[in-house]
Amino acid sequence: MIPFLAVVKKELASVIRDRTIVISILIQLFIASFSSALLLGMLSLYDADTILQFGGAGIKIGVVSSDNVLGSLMSKRGLQMVQYATLTDANDAYYRGEVLAIVDTPQDANGLTEIKLYLPESDTVSSLVRMVIQEPLKQYENVLREEKGIDVRYTDLKGKPSTSFEFVYSVLIPMLMFFPAFVAGSMSVDSITEEVENNTLQTLLSAPLTLNGMIGAKIVSSVIISILQCIAWLTLLQLNGIAIQNTGWILLLALIIAGITSTSAALGAVLLKDRERSQFIYSLMLLAAAAISTLLNLSPITAMSRLAIGDAYTSGWNVVIFAAFLVGLYLVLSKTSRRLLI
Amino acid sequence: MNQILVIAWREVTRLRKRFGGGASPLAVLVLLAVLSGSAYFLRDTVSLGSGLYRVGVSGDVPPIQDSRFAVMKVSAEEGKSLLDEKVIDVFINGADVISRADDKSQYAVRALKQYMEKEELVRVGNSFAEGDAFPLRVGINYLSAEQATGPNDAAKPEEIIIPSLTPPPAPFAQVLITLIYIMPITFISIFFTSSFMDEKINRRLTILLSAPITPFQIIMGKMLPYAIFALFSTTVIAVITKANVPLALAIFVPTTLFIFAIYLMVPLFYRTFKDTTFIAMLVTTLTTAYLIFPAMFTNVNDLSYISPLTLAVKMYRGEPFGWREYLFPSLPMAAIFGFAMFAGTRMLNEEFLMGYKPLTRKVSDAIYLMLAHSKPTISVPLWSLLVVPIVYLTQIILLAFATNLPVRLILGFTLLGSAMFEEVVKTVGIVVLAEHGVVKSARSIIGLSFLSGLGFLIGEKLLLLLSISMVSEARVAGALFGAGLLLFIPLISHFIFTAIITLLRIKLRFPYIIALGIGTIVHFFYNVYVLRGGF
Repeated sequence: MIPFLAVVKKELASVIRDRTIVISILIQLFIASFSSALLLGMLSLYDADTILQFGGAGIKIGVVSSDNVLGSLMSKRGLQMVQYATLTDANDAYYRGEVLAIVDTPQDANGLTEIKLYLPESDTVSSLVRMVIQEPLKQYENVLREEKGIDVRYTDLKGKPSTSFEFVYSVLIPMLMFFPAFVAGSMSVDSITEEVENNTLQTLLSAPLTLNGMIGAKIVSSVIISILQCIAWLTLLQLNGIAIQNTGWILLLALIIAGITSTSAALGAVLLKDRERSQFIYSLMLLAAAAISTLLNLSPITAMSRLAIGDAYTSGWNVVIFAAFLVGLYLVLSKTSRRLLI
Repeated sequence: MNQILVIAWREVTRLRKRFGGGASPLAVLVLLAVLSGSAYFLRDTVSLGSGLYRVGVSGDVPPIQDSRFAVMKVSAEEGKSLLDEKVIDVFINGADVISRADDKSQYAVRALKQYMEKEELVRVGNSFAEGDAFPLRVGINYLSAEQATGPNDAAKPEEIIIPSLTPPPAPFAQVLITLIYIMPITFISIFFTSSFMDEKINRRLTILLSAPITPFQIIMGKMLPYAIFALFSTTVIAVITKANVPLALAIFVPTTLFIFAIYLMVPLFYRTFKDTTFIAMLVTTLTTAYLIFPAMFTNVNDLSYISPLTLAVKMYRGEPFGWREYLFPSLPMAAIFGFAMFAGTRMLNEEFLMGYKPLTRKVSDAIYLMLAHSKPTISVPLWSLLVVPIVYLTQIILLAFATNLPVRLILGFTLLGSAMFEEVVKTVGIVVLAEHGVVKSARSIIGLSFLSGLGFLIGEKLLLLLSISMVSEARVAGALFGAGLLLFIPLISHFIFTAIITLLRIKLRFPYIIALGIGTIVHFFYNVYVLRGGF
């Protein structure tokens, strides 16, 4: 046991001495903050609800209309409407800067209703207007459909904008919990192949330590580093007011996934013995595993977001499945590890 | 040229040997096939989240095939009680949707609304005549910036849309397509990096360098097979996605060079294998973020042109762009490639590659190697001039970062961050030369500070010439690059800040961080003064 701990200690010490682990932590912070910036950007630039919530009153639209159905739909949506008698009046108002865009009177064209929309040339403003006007236009379309006797169901649904919620639980939390695990896999490839390529493996094994013990120690140290990061992220998320249920199970799941990635990475390293191919195969394996587990409906990402939300049907058993897989994988590794010496 | 080809061939042989034995290429192919197969099946489920919401259905409800919903069939009473117990988030009973008042249930309703809207359109479209199902046409006209004679004097031709079938412009789909171009290039970089690591581990680099070939030829030779692969993969992707092949190549060649240039730094700076992993991670994250993030704002903000992917997004939308838009992202990338090549040739020597030193030490050694190539009076200003594109890219990344902050802090943070980075770039050369004893006297420090400021200013103005019309909307960019036409005051100020830091560091022996901090603060206040309209 003592040589095992000595290897773990040596691995951890070398990670601390290299300092490059800081890069990995910074990257996670970068990705997390960047993706929330991205989300914020998306919300404000691509989400009509958010635009209206923050700047709805500022978006004035000129309406040339005797038919007020569309106009009332637009004001219900929170847009500010200004009525004009003719298109020329509206046009003058546009150039005086009173309105951002103009909606002309709906006209009948061969049984279809036609509306003309006048937008500024600037891409920024016109895409903004098109985003906020989309919903009233669709509602107007439904009104027209009803007039033709077509009943569209589920039109009165409202709810709250869900993008932010979906992002936090299905992207941000799984990403922060699993990214350290991916890094752990890369690290165990590195530390195993480094012993082989620098010809230090034999020396290491002359210590009272089995080959499996050595590999196990390297896996354990990668997992320790990754779980420390997970604990830090969970704490930070909760400090930011994000409610996370089942923290115990979440950490256990993160630990097991880190174990799975490190063990499979070690398996690759044992079979291939050099960093280049092992890392390549490891990254391919990660991608394939993510895809396959999603296809099999057994994705740890789904399990993770459901645990965090507090889903009624997700419990420790969903974690146990992955633990069983980890045990199986480790047995395979311990049987094949001898190939590292050949 | 011949030598480059020889090295390129050796590189191909090396790869063949690596992949000829243990990991059979077949296994890789199978993995790739699985990957592309699952990507194909998953292409419709890229929406955020899977199984996030639980929905109970009862009666005649269209099938819900959206990965976000986990659906179960329940009876009417069961559904209501499950909803109350918070086991399910929404209960759909025929045409009625029943929800709770809490947030999660309301989120589920909104997500359901988006999905049902699409489904109903398909149903309506299939079961009724087109004119009845889609009774509304919207003609979109664009008004020119100046008032013309009549309202019909449109700037662009009219565009007719059916609102429910035409989502408002959002470039994400195309951004994802353009990401496909980047993927193989980043993947192949593992091998490019490993190639140099191999030489280092087997200590063959010394032999290679003693042969009559230059480091430049070695780097080019090793890069050549991968560059050919990158060209090939770009062409294949362009053909598959039915894009204009020459245009795609024109867009992605500078990008490819940029990615290679950045990856070239990985093997030069690593000390242990784990370093390689972390540095490569950093490189991948930064390049991806830098390329993807701006492209998401295509047509929303002109700054999105800093990423060449924006051009690709435009290409996929069939929108034209001009030379200026092309050069805006491409020139800095090509310049960074050139710079990295030069740095690579200077650093490719045994002494630099082999030692285990702290990273900061390693970086300063690298800078010294680049500068010691010629006289300080030439190399220092040239350094300041050539790193301007990197400064410029970093400042834009800083600007993007700053959008995370509260609005009042954005400008301050960006100005402070950019001032600091500019000062690092201008002073680091002189400080490193002084550490190696090349520069000693206060006079030469002051002289070099002046030259460094001058070089930086020239680079800055050259870049400004290119980009002034592109980023004219962003006032901040103007302040960062000193859009003021007076050249004398910026020159003097650049010189003074640089001189403060170098003199504090070299003559008064301040720690570099503190000297830098002082110079940065002075620079920051100068910037604020300029921004307030001081000059």
